[in-house]
Amino acid sequence: MRRCKLRNFVLAIVLPLVLFWLLPRPAQSQNFDFAKLESQVKNYSVIIEIQIEVSFGINSSDQEERYLGTIVTEDGLVIFDGTDLASDNLFSSFSGVTVKTTPTKISVTTLDGIKYEAEYLGFDRFTKVGFLKVKMPEGVRFKPIKFSKQYKFKVGEWVALYMLMPEFVSPPLAADIGMVSNLIQSPENFPLTVGFSAIQLTAVLYNSVNEPVGVLGNIMDPSSSGSDMSGMLESFGDVGIPLLGVITADRIEKLITNPPTKGEIERGWLGISLQALTKDIAEFWNLPLSGGIIVNEIIRNSPADVAGLRIGDIIYVVNGEPVEVDREDKVAVFQRKIAALGPGIQVELGIMRTNNNVQDTLTLLVTLQKAPMSSSDAPEFKDESLEMTVRDLVFADYMAYNLDSADFKGVVVSQLIPGGPASIGGLSLGDVIQRIGSAEIKTVAEAKLTLENVAANHPREVIFFIWRQNQTMFVNVKPNWN
Amino acid sequence: MSKIVFLAISIVAVSAFGQSSSLPIQKQIYNARDKVMPALVHIQPVIKNYTTGELEKQAVVGSGIIFHPEGYVVTNYHVAGKADRILCTLYDKEIVTAEFIGGDPPTDIAVIKLNLEEHKGPLVMAEFGNSDSIQVGQYVLAMGSPYALSRSVSAGVVSTRDRYFSSEVRLPTGERTGNYNLWIQTDAAINPGNSGGPLVDLSGKVVGINSRATLFANNLGFAIPINVVREVTQAILTEGKVTRSWIGLHCQALVELEDYFGTERNNGVLVSSIDLGSPADQSFLKAGDIILKVNTKPVSARFVEELPAFYYMISKFQPGTKIGLEVLRGSETFNFSMTTKSLGELQGEDFEAKGWGFTVKGITRQMKLENQLEDTIGVMVTGVKRIGFSEDGGLTRGDVITSINSNNLTDLAQFTGIYEQSMSIAQEKVLLTIKRGKGVRYLVITADKGKGETVNEEM
Repeated sequence: MRRCKLRNFVLAIVLPLVLFWLLPRPAQSQNFDFAKLESQVKNYSVIIEIQIEVSFGINSSDQEERYLGTIVTEDGLVIFDGTDLASDNLFSSFSGVTVKTTPTKISVTTLDGIKYEAEYLGFDRFTKVGFLKVKMPEGVRFKPIKFSKQYKFKVGEWVALYMLMPEFVSPPLAADIGMVSNLIQSPENFPLTVGFSAIQLTAVLYNSVNEPVGVLGNIMDPSSSGSDMSGMLESFGDVGIPLLGVITADRIEKLITNPPTKGEIERGWLGISLQALTKDIAEFWNLPLSGGIIVNEIIRNSPADVAGLRIGDIIYVVNGEPVEVDREDKVAVFQRKIAALGPGIQVELGIMRTNNNVQDTLTLLVTLQKAPMSSSDAPEFKDESLEMTVRDLVFADYMAYNLDSADFKGVVVSQLIPGGPASIGGLSLGDVIQRIGSAEIKTVAEAKLTLENVAANHPREVIFFIWRQNQTMFVNVKPNWN
Repeated sequence: MSKIVFLAISIVAVSAFGQSSSLPIQKQIYNARDKVMPALVHIQPVIKNYTTGELEKQAVVGSGIIFHPEGYVVTNYHVAGKADRILCTLYDKEIVTAEFIGGDPPTDIAVIKLNLEEHKGPLVMAEFGNSDSIQVGQYVLAMGSPYALSRSVSAGVVSTRDRYFSSEVRLPTGERTGNYNLWIQTDAAINPGNSGGPLVDLSGKVVGINSRATLFANNLGFAIPINVVREVTQAILTEGKVTRSWIGLHCQALVELEDYFGTERNNGVLVSSIDLGSPADQSFLKAGDIILKVNTKPVSARFVEELPAFYYMISKFQPGTKIGLEVLRGSETFNFSMTTKSLGELQGEDFEAKGWGFTVKGITRQMKLENQLEDTIGVMVTGVKRIGFSEDGGLTRGDVITSINSNNLTDLAQFTGIYEQSMSIAQEKVLLTIKRGKGVRYLVITADKGKGETVNEEM
């Protein structure tokens, strides 16, 4: 009898309760004071409208994007989701084609309807946080957000954010909540969230006492896995689904104090290509290490070269901290660490080096340099009459084509209008122009000078000497001077 | 399932200008048919494919023609070049086996030999004509097995006799081809499966070997001129292969560049590119030079159609021959010489490292040049099994393996030796050092004899 009662009790009371707790809890069950939060958010939230020109080889199109931005300094520094603008030249390594996203017109409107012009400063490669600077009228000061640093996230705690509604909806902001689902510690520290979506990226996250504790970030983005050719991994690799999480206030503050000036935040660069010291490889080499970075290649005259690193060296300590990279997908942690230190910074590397089967350890001081320019930042020149654009060779080109930067020079054909004289004459995207007429071409500046000269003289034909797929050839381009 | 080998076809046609022009055309077609068809061979090779990371055998179908009383058959290299075994169906529908005798990727020609003891009845052979004397508009017949439909004849005319294709075209086995000859274009229907079959004039002589066609086009077929075929087959029969000289030149037609270089018409061959480390590279020559004479003989390539003849002329020297060049650079003329080297093999030998889940080939000098390698040391990965072990270990087609378990490799023979030894002692894990573009990488792969998964965590 008693047992029966107990079962009834379980069925009637406990089970529903358990089920209730398993279900996603509605927002009402949280203690967020959204009325108060909204009055706070209104002070520093802005609506950003950007016209973006997207060009890929011969194609270019304009698109208009709206973002929710957050004012982070008095003098008008604004952060927003820079993902669209960060989609740079992943393809350049294959064909020399540059994917470029150029913001052409930017406006920033406060929630009380005041519109300002703004300029694009750039984005941070890791967090994809974009930066704008409002062109401040005389005497205007903003009331920026104040992030709460050093906040300790807990699994299961709820966080709130505001997202931007479509243009025809008013009021423009909508609240949303999500939960901290995991405090990822390896390969890097990240509070993971559930309940948010990628359209909310870079929205400010609030804890239940309305403190801004970070922004929403793409922790693992399957679409951007793999390395770009300047030697920086975009993410930890392909886990199949995007994972969103918190870019903590501490990280954001660091970016705000050092915003990008042209395109990207300057990153520190060693000048090596590298791989993880896996357990298997460590065993093969009898190394007493549980992780590290194998130096596979050293770029000539790079910081690593200057400091005396050698191919085959194992970096196992950086500034006194062990490098625990034992899987390829942790290489990014090392790369981020180096990148975040920034150019000009001296780093102490603990190296294990094998000489005649004897392992030596040594310490090398390396002064980081600025990461090489990507092809989308390379100086370029557009020749209107030949209907093509050329750009300087960048580091990524030398890596992709396996060229020697010391003796291979030229400019890359980066855009070509179909049906234009250059295209009809036989130039192709990715061709490296080494001579125009009788003039040697090493840089865009030289190409510009020569091509401007051509345009002034209206010759019947222009002969290019180019490099294409490991061979050189001559190309005859007949301009149309009418 | 059989795959039909595709590259060429030929036509049936009757020549109005033809040889025995007193007869009605229909009669001439019958005569040509009766002369050549009995020598026609339907070829079913089983070819070896290494590109998927393991040795795969594929049954394919092509065509061929008996040209020698001892049962030699000429066909395309892309039909029989990598054949494991070859079955031939003769015109009398008898099936005999054949063996591969030799092949020449640059011209896409191969010779196989019928095992005549298996064949009862007389052997008929076709006669080679003279491809230099064919004319545009002349009737021709294509014979072969389009889409494996054996003993098929189609007819057309010679559409052009000097079609040029750049050597960018590659055989399925990876070799660049077509550098040394022009092509006879015909509108006689040529389909996949016609490859290796004869293009025949109305006197019943073979004037070309049908090798290529443009897919989805109407009747754009291409045959290798028989004069090229004759020379190649003779070299294969006497020496087993064709030996060519190499100096490492790439040339370009001058027609659009005469004003720029200030040259006269039909005078000289423009050097556009020079292979690194080649005899030309080590000589005085450089890109932009115009070669006026080779061994005092004037040369010219004003149009692309003239380039194959120039390359052919260079290739004809015995390797090691010292040749004299007269070259125009700017307004000055220079005379100097260089010693040719042998072109050698275009592609290395294939090998399946079955237990490691990938295939490799030896590295030839031409592979080194095409892939921008520093040297020919090591072996090149040609395929990695999809669900195998190497794929997870991070190996990719094109990687060059330079060492295994810290033993440096120089060539394929060493690779096979180490592989076989490693398999014999059932070594579980293997450390590979590979070169990929700039720089090296180290990979640990897990060997397996049949099923296995890697425990390697590398991406």
